[in-house]
Amino acid sequence: MSFAIQTDVKEQTPTPAEGLEEKVAVRHLNFYYGEYRALADNNVNLYKNKVTAFIGPSGCGKSTLLRILNRIYDLYPNQRADGEVLLDGENILRPSQDVNLLRAKVGMVFQKPTPFPMTIYENIAFGVRLYEKPSKADLDARVEDALRRGAIWDEVKDKLDASGLSLSGGQQQRLCIARTVAIRPEVILLDEPCSALDPISTAKIEELIDVLKRDYTIAIVTHNMQQAARTSDYTAFMYLGELVEFDNTTQMFTNPRMERTQDYITGRFG
Amino acid sequence: MAAAVADARYSRRRRTNFVATALSIGAAGFGLTWLLLILVVLVVKGVGGLNLAVFTEMTPPPGAAGGLLNPIVGSLILTALAVAFGTPLGILAGTYMAEYGRYSKLTMVVRFINDILLSAPSIVIGLFVYEIMVARMGHFSAWAGAVALAILVIPVVVRTTEDMLLLVPNTLREASTALGVPRWLVIRDVAYRAARAGITTGVLLAIARITGETAPLLFTALNNQFFSWNLNAPMASLPVVIFQFALSPYSEWQQLAWTGALLITAAVLGLSILARMLASKKVLP
Amino acid sequence: MDMALQSAPVQVRDDEQRANILRRFRIGDRTFNILTQASAIAVLVILAGVMLSLVIGSLPAWHAFGFDFFTSQSWNPVTEKFGALPAIYGTLLTSFIAMLIGVPVSLGIAIFLTEICPERFRRTIGTAIELLAGIPSIIYGIWGLFVFAPFFQAHLQPVLIDAFANIPILNQLFAGPPYGIGLLTAGLILAIMVLPFITSITREVFDTVPPVLKEAAYGIGCTRWEVMRRVVIPYARVGIVGGVMLGLGRALGETMAVTFVIGNAHRIVPSIMAPGTTISASIANEFTEATGDLYTASLIALGLILFFITFVVLAAARLMLMRIAMKAGV
Repeated sequence: MSFAIQTDVKEQTPTPAEGLEEKVAVRHLNFYYGEYRALADNNVNLYKNKVTAFIGPSGCGKSTLLRILNRIYDLYPNQRADGEVLLDGENILRPSQDVNLLRAKVGMVFQKPTPFPMTIYENIAFGVRLYEKPSKADLDARVEDALRRGAIWDEVKDKLDASGLSLSGGQQQRLCIARTVAIRPEVILLDEPCSALDPISTAKIEELIDVLKRDYTIAIVTHNMQQAARTSDYTAFMYLGELVEFDNTTQMFTNPRMERTQDYITGRFG
Repeated sequence: MAAAVADARYSRRRRTNFVATALSIGAAGFGLTWLLLILVVLVVKGVGGLNLAVFTEMTPPPGAAGGLLNPIVGSLILTALAVAFGTPLGILAGTYMAEYGRYSKLTMVVRFINDILLSAPSIVIGLFVYEIMVARMGHFSAWAGAVALAILVIPVVVRTTEDMLLLVPNTLREASTALGVPRWLVIRDVAYRAARAGITTGVLLAIARITGETAPLLFTALNNQFFSWNLNAPMASLPVVIFQFALSPYSEWQQLAWTGALLITAAVLGLSILARMLASKKVLP
Repeated sequence: MDMALQSAPVQVRDDEQRANILRRFRIGDRTFNILTQASAIAVLVILAGVMLSLVIGSLPAWHAFGFDFFTSQSWNPVTEKFGALPAIYGTLLTSFIAMLIGVPVSLGIAIFLTEICPERFRRTIGTAIELLAGIPSIIYGIWGLFVFAPFFQAHLQPVLIDAFANIPILNQLFAGPPYGIGLLTAGLILAIMVLPFITSITREVFDTVPPVLKEAAYGIGCTRWEVMRRVVIPYARVGIVGGVMLGLGRALGETMAVTFVIGNAHRIVPSIMAPGTTISASIANEFTEATGDLYTASLIALGLILFFITFVVLAAARLMLMRIAMKAGV
């Protein structure tokens, strides 16, 4: 381990860590809004069953990068990506990739809790029924399982027929997490999941993330460095569209390699 | 010296303001008075002829007593058909404009043309339907009347559907897309559900709009003295009967015209109020 | 914290079943896409159809009369000589009268509602006006015929005739006898009809003015009228004009409010109180009785002219309203 802080702008391709499987590998990723290049030559890995945090100042592109991993940017014209994003070795950016299939494997939870305008039960069942035709008993079991995984079962088990909108903000967000895990993805993307929530709800969700990683690979975008330090195993620091540094979290926060990372973490700029 | 001039200027400004305010209040009073006058006369004259017979008996020959059964039923049938034809088309078109075609050139053109159709003279629509249906079929019919009214329904429904769907936040769409839901199910199960109240309001407004329309029916559905279910024949409608009876010299007919006018106005106001109540219920998160 | 999770790992999916479902999704998307796009195109088709049918239906009239159709005043079903001038004149005149009276009053009401009216009444009166905008025009028509026209004939028309009796030109415009019905009456009824419509659009446009702008003007000591005149109305100018033109489009095409009180006379005389006709009133009154292809075609030709006029007015209005919407950042 070198102790000298490097002053280069960014690292090259990250070195794969020991004994870890690359679930998602991002290689030379560029992203454009129209003519404007928002991401420049990003390289990063998401390791299986680990939590990877993306941090950086506003506008650095961390949400943009996350939204490429499930190709949700496809909904909008004028946005395009080039480079490679390998999920289990297959490039999901290729035109022949079935995006619905992709999104069944890679789930996403958004910054603003977005329960569907349906009952709590329906919110979960909706996604399950999409790909499977479970019996009523099976469906009930799946819904309960999802709500348990979302750490919200005890609070809603007596009011599954209530509207999803009747829950508090923190509960709605956990409902959204439950909805995402209900369809059994392999990767879960969290885009600033707690920024609209109070500290108690935030704490609950952070605990939840720690449990979820046993079964899923998780990527979380956060503007809260302490949250990144608390919840993640690996951290990527981004700045103005470039991925400046990627390392395991402890190393990143105690002894970063890049000067810019050091500056951000110590609060020299925000 | 300067103070005196300033004072004079200021009092002139104040006077202008006072006059303008007075005129403005006067305008409001003037406008509202006429409108209230119309409503009061309508109620007074209409209620005078309001009785059970109006709803149970057919339109009478000149000089006899009768009711408005066939025009009421006829109007209901024509309205129901017009809504059945126009609403699905309108909703689908509005869906294209807000969803699949949100950023396309076609949508801009359709929006523009739709707004023109929205305010187009309804008598011209009547002429159009006459040419393509009545002249071709060789006779007047309820179908033709329904089609003419449907053409008036479509622009209203298109406009409100597009507006309501555009109000649904994109994060909701993204959330369901992120589950792997295909576009058409995102629209059907999430967007429509969220915009449901608004779209229903649009349909109610469209119904309110066609309820009093006379001109497009004048040479499509024409009129029918007798009670009829036959959609292939002329059909009576309240507005056309009012038109015919009001311009006649028979007092029983004129009374029926006023009562019919009252019924139409009550229906239109009722629908508008219902639409407002529906629109004010917050559905979106 | 509820931590009892099932120990089952992520399930292995049945690939063939999944492929079927995905294919269903793709087909569904393509079908729905085509369906909605076709419906949107249908709107265009309707408009094209209207224009086309009017043109084709009126061809016999154009063949027979040519450009003279616009300048001739004759309207004789027996000799089959038709001219559009009285109808066009009536349409334009009644709409002009309606705008002349309706626009200032509407502006006044809108200013009253947005600035002067006490807060608690604002919503009720505003809603009342919007509801009134929905009253069908036939109501205005029969009210005009049975209530307004007799009143006008007995009390207001004699006053007008006497008042202008000695003033040159005006005494020709306001010449008797007092029929009660006629072009002026129709114009006044139209004015009352467009009032709620223009008022609600003007109110909406006033609401797009940023409050900070008004506050800044009040802040330097402007009176309410000055704020309206110097700040609000100039800012909203384009939108107001757009709203007025929409009202004009309505007035031009209005049938039932006018048919009852216009008098149905195909001639042009100097007095605006005389009976006349408008395009829509002619069509409404005569179409079902029209015998002979040339009569029918002439009426359809009138319809084409009306459609063209309203199309131009409405298109211009929409363009103006689009501009103010863009300015407001909508």
